[in-house]
Amino acid sequence: MTLFFLGVVLLLLGGAAAALLPRRRAADAGFAALAGGGCAAAAAPALWALAGGTVADLRITAAVPGGDWVFGIDPLSAFFLVIVCAVGAASVLYGVPYLATERAHRSVRVAHLLTAIEIAALALVVVARSAMPFLIAWEVMAVLAYFLVVFESERVAVRRAGLIYLIGTHTGTLALIALFAYWGQLAGGLSFAALAAAAPMLPASGALVFTLGLAGFGFKAGLVPLHFWLPGAHGAAPSHVSALMSGVVIKMGIYGLLRLVTLVGPPPVWWGWLVLAVGLASGVLGVLWALAQHDLKRLLAYHSVENIGIILLGLGVGALGARYDAPVVAVLGYAGAALHTLNHALFKSLLFLGAGAVLHATGTREIDRLGGLARRMPFTWTAFLVGSVAIVGLPPLNGFVSEWVVYQALIRSADVSPARAAVFGVAGLALIGALALACFAKVCGAVFLGQPRTSAAEGGREVGYGMLGPMFVLAAACVVIGLVPLVAVAPALRVGALVGGVGTAAVNDGLAAVAPALRRITVLAFALVGSVAGGAWLMRLASRRRTQTSSETWGCGYERPSVRMQYTAASFAAPLLAAYGPSAGVQVTREHGAFHTHPLDLVLDKLVLPLWTRLRNWAISVRPIQQGRLWVYLLYLLGALVALLLYLALQLERVSW
Amino acid sequence: MTWSAVAAVVMLFVIAPLVPGIAAKTKARLAGRRGAPVLQLYWDLSRLWRKGAVYSRTTTWVFRVAPVALVATAGAATCLVPLDGARAILSFSGDFVAFAYLLALGRFLLVLAALDTGSSFEGMGASREVTVAAFAEPALFLAFVAVVVASGETSLSGALGAALAGAWPTAAPALAMVAVSLFLVLLAEGSRVPVDDPATHLELTMIHEVMVLDHSGQDLALVLYGSALKLSLFAALLVGVVAPRAALPPLVALPALVAGIVVAAVAIGIVESVTARLRLGRVPQFLTAASALAALGVILLLAGSGT
Repeated sequence: MTLFFLGVVLLLLGGAAAALLPRRRAADAGFAALAGGGCAAAAAPALWALAGGTVADLRITAAVPGGDWVFGIDPLSAFFLVIVCAVGAASVLYGVPYLATERAHRSVRVAHLLTAIEIAALALVVVARSAMPFLIAWEVMAVLAYFLVVFESERVAVRRAGLIYLIGTHTGTLALIALFAYWGQLAGGLSFAALAAAAPMLPASGALVFTLGLAGFGFKAGLVPLHFWLPGAHGAAPSHVSALMSGVVIKMGIYGLLRLVTLVGPPPVWWGWLVLAVGLASGVLGVLWALAQHDLKRLLAYHSVENIGIILLGLGVGALGARYDAPVVAVLGYAGAALHTLNHALFKSLLFLGAGAVLHATGTREIDRLGGLARRMPFTWTAFLVGSVAIVGLPPLNGFVSEWVVYQALIRSADVSPARAAVFGVAGLALIGALALACFAKVCGAVFLGQPRTSAAEGGREVGYGMLGPMFVLAAACVVIGLVPLVAVAPALRVGALVGGVGTAAVNDGLAAVAPALRRITVLAFALVGSVAGGAWLMRLASRRRTQTSSETWGCGYERPSVRMQYTAASFAAPLLAAYGPSAGVQVTREHGAFHTHPLDLVLDKLVLPLWTRLRNWAISVRPIQQGRLWVYLLYLLGALVALLLYLALQLERVSW
Repeated sequence: MTWSAVAAVVMLFVIAPLVPGIAAKTKARLAGRRGAPVLQLYWDLSRLWRKGAVYSRTTTWVFRVAPVALVATAGAATCLVPLDGARAILSFSGDFVAFAYLLALGRFLLVLAALDTGSSFEGMGASREVTVAAFAEPALFLAFVAVVVASGETSLSGALGAALAGAWPTAAPALAMVAVSLFLVLLAEGSRVPVDDPATHLELTMIHEVMVLDHSGQDLALVLYGSALKLSLFAALLVGVVAPRAALPPLVALPALVAGIVVAAVAIGIVESVTARLRLGRVPQFLTAASALAALGVILLLAGSGT
């Protein structure tokens, strides 16, 4: 625990170094070294705890508000702490060269300072063991994220996205404050231990607590329909902050839900089904909205909604398994959720860093203004391709492993009689996977392959090693988990057992259920990599004896193809959007030989904003009450007095009768 | 790993190019033509293998790796199916996910190769390919769920084994629905009528063919072989569902598999002779029907297992 707090202090020192050291180079170096070291130091006890060690709790009993402040690291905390530290470190190291060119017109030092405090707050959220420090760290995390989102505050779209984010996150926090206030007053204390002890007293097996938790943590996680703040905010933030937000910050919502389940015990049945349904909706709608986007970073942000959906599928089926006494389903479901959280953190931050590199090199993130970057940025392209294959869930990378665990939980629910309808989640997950494949084929094809569509794309050059390094480390992590899944699945199963409230025996049961399969997945993955590499090498040998001609792309007889004839990303997505789009609120229109897709967000554009406008209009209509003249207020006073007297008189009359 | 499993995989690798040949022959005979020889694809492959290749200047390494990856993924997926009726080379719980996702990986890379050329025709084909796949995938997974529920086993080798044979007498209607659904998925995944037409000559109406327009020589040979392998793999899967052969000795089960695949190929040819190709806008409805059939099968099986 001491090492953990040393890490937090190092992070804060790193932030201070970035803000205060006079010379620019020293500030950058100090920030990178101290903050990176802080992440490493904070991750060390987490790895120890995941390996089976125990970390002593830290209790602050001095004069602090809200009772004792307790901090501890159990497998659940440790798992998320590793995510925070890994993505945090990558984001810090990438951020230094990424923001270096912005120095002229923006306050880069403050951005670095805020990033460092943000990571420290994230780390504190997952180790807090009582409600007061948890909520404080939570709020620090949320508010600092706002300041990071509006880094490019001179753009109107950025300020709007920031404001919507702030409203969204505070509504969520409000639900959490209500949750802990209600529960703490029942429990007579705010430490998690006291709350857990009071859990059996919660009426209706904790219905209110679970509802408030799903609302509060759901806002942070960005599940449909509470996701409306997410695409704007993640699209507007600087790319390394987007990576941190998409990879880690929204995962705090998942952490909160898992922590809630550990404290209260198995959630009610309806909650399990609700989470399953919300997960399915988030997954399918998220990927459909992503398919319709024209902005690379907004597209990636919608994929976060999709992946939160996959995580919730695991969480929901885990909850059902726990409720219906099927420990293997419970452990696999929760473990699948945890593992996909880790994997999504890795590949999504990788993709955001890749998108940042594209933005850095070309100055645009409009997908249909890019193209042909595979030749110009070969290393970024390789890293981005790894991230794409991983997020689509294809072997031999990590996305496949966690989706496979979620599939395992879903398919095994067929044996649990009351929960067997959950097997239809398999079809949903298959649909999500196939749509994600279409979406990333679109992104990779339009951004990196073919020919550059504009001069901006033509002039794209590879980014420096400072930005490539973090991308390659994240890509390597994706490959390692994909090839040797056991290294990540075993800790995830410990988390699953903890959340499912079953002992270590269940870990062994779960491990026994999946370990042989995981070993065969390793065999399969290596065989696949080996056969593709060997096959490509053999083809090279074989093709040496044949003539090879270079030519223009075959245009079916047309001799003068131009760059503008390339299939665009919008056209690529059109058949799918024409079929599925209406259900997701995406409009496809064809007019004057032109073709448009309008990526409206069903919730934000059709529900939240109209509601907001109506609320504002209503508020304006009652504004004449406030005239600012004294006699009007005296009249109000008189009117209220008369009304009160009349009421009293009537009451008296009724009593006297 | 048993010798019969290895032999079955090798056999499927050898007979794969036969399936499109038989389908084409059936189609020709029903139309009153003599048609190309059944072994035509073998000759085509050997001729293409000896030819040189033309590469577009726009393409990158993705274009060259994709054909290899297509064959490698289809080959790896073959190792997961219990072709001899008893046990696949590699079998584990949930291997059907790996089966579907391996084929998806091959498709993903082939689509990227198409986009790598920057051709608008190939972009169009790629877009259609992923659209069809997005509708076929849920149907395929529902079919897997159905056999998993019917057999109580979570690996393909188990689910297509003895337990499924035992489930047929009691759950025949549901399993028949699943088999029909799987056949529709086969038509879509194998780029056959009514989803796609391998014999069409106009690029604008193609799906799979137009996507590989720029591949030539050995690359094209690999693409053609990979597609044929995928088609016969789905045929083998269908045979596994309709006729579980776990009880048969391998020496009977393997010829039975070949016979089943030939029947499936003839069925493809008959379908191609009697139906017209669907308009592209109708393809989603066709495949949604396949999903609905499989979902109904799953519901019937779940209801049956509960009582």
